[in-house]
Amino acid sequence: MISTIYIEEEIANHPRTLAILKRFPDATKISCQRYGEVFNSKSQNFRLQKKQAALILARKHKGLVLPSPKEYAIGAELNYYFSHMLNCLYDCRYCFLQGKFQSAHYVLFVNYEDFIEEMQLLLNQHDEEAVHFFSGYDCDSLALDPVTDFTSEFLPFLESNPRALLELRTKSTQIRSLLKREPIKNCVIAFSFTPDKIARTLEHKVPDINKRLQALLDLQEAGWQIGLRFDPLIYTKDYAKEYSELFNEIFSKINPELTHSISLGGFRLPKDYFRKLEKLYPDEKLFASPQAEEKNNIGYPAEIRHEMLDFCENIITQHIPAEKFFPCHETI
Amino acid sequence: MIHIFCALPCEAQPLIQHFKLPDLKEFDLFRIYQSKDKEISLTITGIGKLNMAAAVSYQHACLNTAASDIWLNIGVAGHANIPLGEVRLVNKITDNHDNTTWYPQIIFNSPCKSTHLITLDKPSTDYQDSLYDMESSAFYQIAIRLGSAELIHCLKIISDNTEQDTATVNADKVKKMISAQVQIIEKLIDRLKPLSTEIYSITAEPEHYQHLIEKLHFTQSESLQLSRLLRQWSLRLPDEDVMQLIADNKSGKAVLKTLRDTINNSEFAIHD
Ligand code: SF4
Repeated sequence: MISTIYIEEEIANHPRTLAILKRFPDATKISCQRYGEVFNSKSQNFRLQKKQAALILARKHKGLVLPSPKEYAIGAELNYYFSHMLNCLYDCRYCFLQGKFQSAHYVLFVNYEDFIEEMQLLLNQHDEEAVHFFSGYDCDSLALDPVTDFTSEFLPFLESNPRALLELRTKSTQIRSLLKREPIKNCVIAFSFTPDKIARTLEHKVPDINKRLQALLDLQEAGWQIGLRFDPLIYTKDYAKEYSELFNEIFSKINPELTHSISLGGFRLPKDYFRKLEKLYPDEKLFASPQAEEKNNIGYPAEIRHEMLDFCENIITQHIPAEKFFPCHETI
Repeated sequence: MIHIFCALPCEAQPLIQHFKLPDLKEFDLFRIYQSKDKEISLTITGIGKLNMAAAVSYQHACLNTAASDIWLNIGVAGHANIPLGEVRLVNKITDNHDNTTWYPQIIFNSPCKSTHLITLDKPSTDYQDSLYDMESSAFYQIAIRLGSAELIHCLKIISDNTEQDTATVNADKVKKMISAQVQIIEKLIDRLKPLSTEIYSITAEPEHYQHLIEKLHFTQSESLQLSRLLRQWSLRLPDEDVMQLIADNKSGKAVLKTLRDTINNSEFAIHD
């Protein structure tokens, strides 16, 4: 799967680096000073690199845990995100990472201990308040878990800090390490869904809807809290029928008690990301969707946006209480 | 197109023969060879970074290269302990002068092993665990401005090592070493070609774009809009004849309006 690994000199002997290298004895190893030399260099093609992305092992020095936008909150006032990884195994055509990064290589910051220390500091600063941490902004939280050991390193911290809540955002079925341990109340595994036909068209290399739903049900069965993320909502002429079928399928099977939160938001991207993606995938219909520009973002025209959000909201609120529902009704 | 750069005539000769590349007489600053179908060119650069940098720029100007082209620096190099005649693709280039480093992107199954290379200003027999040459950093530094990192590579054949240093290298030996690795060079090109084709396909202008740009006036931002709308048209209304629809439009602005209105009024399904 991974045939090239770049290794920052500084973390060449970090125990996590050594453990990961052991898993890939045949990979070509290339040392570098800072991961940006490889990852940020110009004249790279994200689309081509996606065919055989390399792994870059690096150390995150600053900006380890950052405030996250209010629109994405799921019930707390204090919200932070952190990225132990940049980029993703999967290849969703709407993914903003394709616009954000020059390179499709996976960067893994191996110094988890520094992330955890910073999270602890934040908790200490906000005595007695709930603090939510989000891990899936710049990657899929679980897709590479068997390689990164992310959950087994971070969950003990959550366990000893009940005021913190961690959202693991995923489309993956890599839940083995979660099922192996006792569930933790303050960890939400949030699965993203689009209707089957849309997923088949746009979500490449991603486990199909049934497999994702099964993983979600297995987690609930084991006592884990799950989240549902219908973000991005994708427009197509039969969206009402397709989303109704998806909601029926999901809500007829899940346990509402162990459903922590549901959020949704229309497809939108910062304008420069949208333009970059449009160039990378000129034959992709998604970028020929009905579109409007607002505040330097491109998304669906207001009429379509509101119609879709209202439609979905109507169905969702029939299944779960309003306090668990977090629509993203921002402008584009 | 594939552009090959060799420092020495003896590195170039087996490739000129193998790929059947006639000399392009009209260019006299550097010797440039090109196949009849214009698919492969080869330039003899001379030794050292300055020569290489000048040759890559010159070749680019002479042959009008494109963003989807493949760029290869093929030649011999020294290494402490890799046996003579073995071939390596370069995965990291360091310029010994200022330690600047580049990382060619090997995102295909390499036909041979890959390793690190150091480009020196002067020849040296102080071998270490890296390839040594005198041109690659200059080649990469210029080529990366013209193409994409995934399509720019250096392939080196070991001509000297601690057991047999540069004093034992001669033109005849080099020719034989390069000839012996022609199959690997072919394989490398075969693996790069689909990537090049993919870049070509995404950089090509949509159908009718060139015709319309030549026929009507479009400002720079309008040309961008035209390209985008023609693309959207081909995705949303693939069975409709766009030229018939805009046949009566007398200006660029009118064309854009017709395209935009028709696209906006069409139904949108993201899948069949
Ligand atoms: S799963 Fe998420 S992070 Fe991965 S490609 Fe899809 S949208 Fe991007």
